[in-house]
Amino acid sequence: MVDTTKNTLIYTTSGRKVAKPVNPNVAGKMISKAKRPLLVVGAELLKDEKLIEKAITIAKKGIPVAATGHSITALVDKDIDVKYINIHSLGTFLGDKNWTGLDGQGSYDTVIFLGHKKYYLDQVLSGIKNFTDLKALAIERHFMQNATLSFGNLKPEVHLEALDELIENL
Amino acid sequence: MSDIETGKFSIDELENVQITIGKIVGAIEKKAKEEGVEVGPTPKPGISGLRDWDHKLLSRYQPVYTPVCDQCCYCTFGKCDLGGNKEGACGINMEAHQARETLLRVITGAAAHSAHGRHILHHLIDIYGRDKAIDVGPSNLVAPNTQAVTGIKPETLGDLEEVMDYVEEQINQLLATVHAGQEGAAIDFESKVLHGGMLDHVGMEVSDLAQMSCLGMPKSDTEAPLVEIGMGCIDSKKPVLLVIGHNVSGVTYIMDYIHDHNLDDKIELGGLCCTAIDMTRYKVENGGQPRAKVIGTLAKELKMIRSGVPDVIVVDEQCVRADVLEEAKKLSIPVITTNEKIMYGLPNRSKDSAKDIIEDLSTFKDPGALILDYDTLGEVAPELAIKMSKIREDMGIKALPSDEELQGLSEKCVQCAACEMDCPANLPIMAAMKAGVDKDFSKFEELHDVCIGCGRCDQACPKDIPVLDMIEQASRKIIREEKGLMRAGRGQISDPEIREEGVNLVLGTTPGIIAMVGCSNYPNGTRDLYTVADEMLKRNYIVVMSGCSAMDLGMYKNEDGQTLYEKYPAKFLAGNLINVGSCVSNSHITGTAIKVAAIFAQRNVSGNYEEIADYITNRIGAVGVAWGAYSQKAIAIGSGCNRLGIPVVVGPHGSKYRRALIGKPYDEAAWKVYDARDGSEMPIPSSPEFLLTTAESVEELFPMLAKNCIRPSDNNMGRMIKLTHYMELSQKYLGHMPEDWYKFVRTETDLPLAKREQLLKILEADHGWEIDWKRKKIISGPTMKSDVSAQPTNVKRLCKGEC
Ligand code: SF4
Ligand code: SF4
Ligand code: SF4
Repeated sequence: MVDTTKNTLIYTTSGRKVAKPVNPNVAGKMISKAKRPLLVVGAELLKDEKLIEKAITIAKKGIPVAATGHSITALVDKDIDVKYINIHSLGTFLGDKNWTGLDGQGSYDTVIFLGHKKYYLDQVLSGIKNFTDLKALAIERHFMQNATLSFGNLKPEVHLEALDELIENL
Repeated sequence: MSDIETGKFSIDELENVQITIGKIVGAIEKKAKEEGVEVGPTPKPGISGLRDWDHKLLSRYQPVYTPVCDQCCYCTFGKCDLGGNKEGACGINMEAHQARETLLRVITGAAAHSAHGRHILHHLIDIYGRDKAIDVGPSNLVAPNTQAVTGIKPETLGDLEEVMDYVEEQINQLLATVHAGQEGAAIDFESKVLHGGMLDHVGMEVSDLAQMSCLGMPKSDTEAPLVEIGMGCIDSKKPVLLVIGHNVSGVTYIMDYIHDHNLDDKIELGGLCCTAIDMTRYKVENGGQPRAKVIGTLAKELKMIRSGVPDVIVVDEQCVRADVLEEAKKLSIPVITTNEKIMYGLPNRSKDSAKDIIEDLSTFKDPGALILDYDTLGEVAPELAIKMSKIREDMGIKALPSDEELQGLSEKCVQCAACEMDCPANLPIMAAMKAGVDKDFSKFEELHDVCIGCGRCDQACPKDIPVLDMIEQASRKIIREEKGLMRAGRGQISDPEIREEGVNLVLGTTPGIIAMVGCSNYPNGTRDLYTVADEMLKRNYIVVMSGCSAMDLGMYKNEDGQTLYEKYPAKFLAGNLINVGSCVSNSHITGTAIKVAAIFAQRNVSGNYEEIADYITNRIGAVGVAWGAYSQKAIAIGSGCNRLGIPVVVGPHGSKYRRALIGKPYDEAAWKVYDARDGSEMPIPSSPEFLLTTAESVEELFPMLAKNCIRPSDNNMGRMIKLTHYMELSQKYLGHMPEDWYKFVRTETDLPLAKREQLLKILEADHGWEIDWKRKKIISGPTMKSDVSAQPTNVKRLCKGEC
């Protein structure tokens, strides 16, 4: 079992409310329990074939995907429910009760983030943390302090292992 | 009683009594009347003057806050935790505080530009006098921002003083509202943000009008010369004089001294940041050749100093690193400060002789000097560079580590990740160190272009490894090849150019203006700029550059060895590439949009900001891109564009400005305007979709640019062209057809000809539109009509019968 909760060093302070470190099995179960989860993948995903595979595997478990940046280039024609959206717009719409989601089926309750630039996602999560009730789960390689729950800072190979364990628990 | 004039008067019977009459209430209106100019409803608007307009914009483009910090520490009631939109001890909530934080950044930027403007105006009036005519090229509308905002049509340098008075007073009023216990509503802080942005463009315009009129800079010159650019173009065998900053008041004295003393070939004069751009504009009108080289942007500042190449460094103002003196001292490079904004604690030698200063600095009695007397500066800087070059050579100054040392330093690395986490871009430094142990320094080389040269890695490393120096040393081969060409800043777009191209912009047959501006905090290196500009130019967009972006664009060459400045002509026409100039020249970009409304559409411009902004919002397909925006000035520039309805995209680092203005395309009620012909409501396409937002990568940026150039006024040909680019760019860079393309279709003639049938099929099958297949016509489906004579407006009073 991978422990993804050890290194939660924060490199720039932001506020008092800080993400709870989470282990992959717990994260996996949480996603499974969510009524309307959304996996949000960023363009950093494209730098690592293995990460792309993991994202597709998660999506194949029936989780809709919002592809931000140009991450969609690796996700089209993969038989998954994926749509492009700009992450700043997504962060905004997620907090709007009148938004019916990417598929018109209603708003989301759990949003999972993978494959983003750390500093960019930090900001998006800050908006979500401060202005919405959403559960934001960061399964990134870095501790994302503005998420609700986050993996700690991980080495790339440990990160991949953690994602495998998360997938097993879906 | 006859009218009182401004000016100086003596009263005959009273000896030694002179009365000066500066400003007269109603003077703008009176002068305008004499000239037959109609003044609109808001000359010199105060904070609330354009509030209704702002609120209109902000109801469609709602502020989105992404705090960098959840706390406020503005007063001693705090710190207050505003997390979760809580209120602080003074009652302000998170939203309002974030809007206040944004305002503070915007007015800081506006103050930097306008203080620069005031400084250079003051300086030039001292030399040329108040009556010196403003001359910026073949235009009648010489100061579009100034005139639209203040109602003043400036003709002389003296007229610009009154404009600056207005800008400064307003910035002061805005600054006052940042104090605890002032404004409480986010929406009104936002209106103030837009006010600050608007003022910024006036301040910038004053700066550039003044310097263009007096310093022999190109005046709407489509043939402005090409200038050498890049760290590699500096000949380090000669004495090297490096100038950093933005304000050329003092630098021109150095340039004149060099020229007058026949030192042009004996000294390398290079600049960093916008001062470099303006140095290369100095005295190049009428065929003069540039007398300086551009080294590059802020990202090159520390790298250039640490290379040890400069023999003397001169700094003026803005975007100059705070540690220039400390870094320079280590390499025995004297530093001269020349502007009160940056003095580094150095002794003021303004009243001393050049000889004494040179003596003291060359013997290291002082590490540098403050010289505010520009005649002295003109002599000291080049003479000292010549002297220091020899001295430093004899001293055998060693700057960067050797290749052998690189390996040893790599071995010291304990792979702790502190540098990577502290690096603003989280660059893969550890992998470079690992490879460095085996003498493979290629990974350091790869870091060079994506590294913004901030030095934070050095500060973070527990083993005191000079990471940035290692990157630079490993990349010296690439750095030697960093040689390009940039077209010198040409200044304004002239009135005749607007007459020629205005109609194409409004109808959309020229698909849009892409203005690439701002600094060098790119997410993925400098080459992205080249990729974006080249793609959009090939597609016939007008690409306008300024500031640091204008420099970085010149660093790359195509397969034929040409930079884009050589490849594309520089007129204001579709498919042309224009460099307007330095940071303050950004005012010419908004000025261009104002000119289209004023000259092409004959809208009254003086003191008529709202109508002009309304015109631009609905008709001019322009998008600003500040891909590496880092500064407060950049957000001020962006906010000024926003008040005119011009959308701006910043790179991912721009999310740290903490607020965006994003519309909701699914909220149909937000995308309606009036038809000024009868005041009826008409639906419009959801474009621009935002006024300020971020994009993650250039691939994502491309379709955003094309889509957000769509405007209600497009004719069928125009819409067809814009839609084609939107669809093609989505397919090329995102690998799919955009989801929302059909929302921009009003009639079959909006569809690209080659794909019309195929797209009609999709409209029928996927969206339920009714198609008459015999005539290949759309019968029902679109929510908008195509009507080129419609007059879209957001402002009810501009509708027929309303006033
Ligand atoms: S200004 Fe208001 S929110 Fe800020 S520290 Fe003072 S009391 Fe707290
Ligand atoms: S100098 Fe370059 S590598 Fe070092 S922290 Fe700054 S951007 Fe990163
Ligand atoms: S901070 Fe220094 S020791 Fe740590 S990984 Fe970076 S270079 Fe190596």
